[in-house]
Amino acid sequence: MLKNIPNKVIHKKIMHIFILLIKLQPIVYNAIIMGNQKLYKGSLQTIILKLLEENDKMYGYEITQKVKELTKGELSITEGALYPALHKLEAERLLDVEVTTVDNRLRKYYKLTEHGTKETVNRLAELEEFIATMKTIVNPKLA
Amino acid sequence: MKLTLEQIQQLYIFTRQHYVEHFDVQTELVDHLANDIEQIWKTQPNLSFEDARNISFKKFGVFGFMDIVGERQKALSKKYWKIIWSFAKDWFQLPKIILTIFIFTLFTIACRSKFGEYFLFSSLMIMCVYGLIKAFQLKNNFKKRIKSTGKKWMLEEMIFSAGMGFFTMIPINLINIFNLSNLDENMIYSNWFTLLYAAIFTLLVIGFYVVIEVLPKKAEELLTKNYPEYKLV
Repeated sequence: MLKNIPNKVIHKKIMHIFILLIKLQPIVYNAIIMGNQKLYKGSLQTIILKLLEENDKMYGYEITQKVKELTKGELSITEGALYPALHKLEAERLLDVEVTTVDNRLRKYYKLTEHGTKETVNRLAELEEFIATMKTIVNPKLA
Repeated sequence: MKLTLEQIQQLYIFTRQHYVEHFDVQTELVDHLANDIEQIWKTQPNLSFEDARNISFKKFGVFGFMDIVGERQKALSKKYWKIIWSFAKDWFQLPKIILTIFIFTLFTIACRSKFGEYFLFSSLMIMCVYGLIKAFQLKNNFKKRIKSTGKKWMLEEMIFSAGMGFFTMIPINLINIFNLSNLDENMIYSNWFTLLYAAIFTLLVIGFYVVIEVLPKKAEELLTKNYPEYKLV
């Protein structure tokens, strides 16, 4: 069967597979060695938006604890990643802030803006699509 | 066990010691540390405040609060440019657009005249000198504000200094470009080039006016709008 296909095409296909393997290598490596933490990194903003969609308003520390609780400790959002993500979402006007005095200190709450609520739907759809695509690559038989 | 007011104040000092100068960033970090310390005390009630604070601080990684401050600065400067644009776009709508067209026409006519070169150079020089004087005045105002309130807000610092730096650098750089470029004279005095000069100068004048005059005057309003805690403290 391969005889009918020109050599150039075969080489191209092999190159594509090779490039795909190189691209997948860090993902597979992270999934096995790094305990999945890096895989979640790109989805951090979507995770925050989803939590705020369900909880009306939340403060930074509460978000870290909620994620830990929901994932039974599998995923822990680091402080160094959480606040930059929150500030980015705030600058993009997806989040609004509210400050109240609690236990002798000021607490900054984040909540979704109208634009943020719409964007959450889009980002969740994008994430689901990404997960489906990943499934087709990682396990083509199930797709 | 909850933190006392004194311990909260100590946390503010702690964040300052770790290069967090702005009150808005400090406040968020202080609440985070306080929550974590209280959480640590639930499992280790005998731990001292300082030890619990150090355990909590270690979770921020080797760079401490520096990443958070840097990223906050990036996010806020995006917001700052959006604010500039929100005021600048008035100049492209009625009634101010009439003034914009007037400035543009003035620059176009001036560029086409035989004194065009001198006109451009002197207007750049005026902008540079005026910008520097204003920068100095605004810096002094900012220092006075910090002295009277004892607090420095990141957006406040941007309003009173960051944009100024950018807008005073543009005229200086334009002068350099004019001096260094060896453009053909026919090209410099062509219609397209004069229109381009006029457009750049018009935008520069509008940007300059918004950053130097409008934003510092609206500082209180902008800070109240962007920081819900501004009126609380």
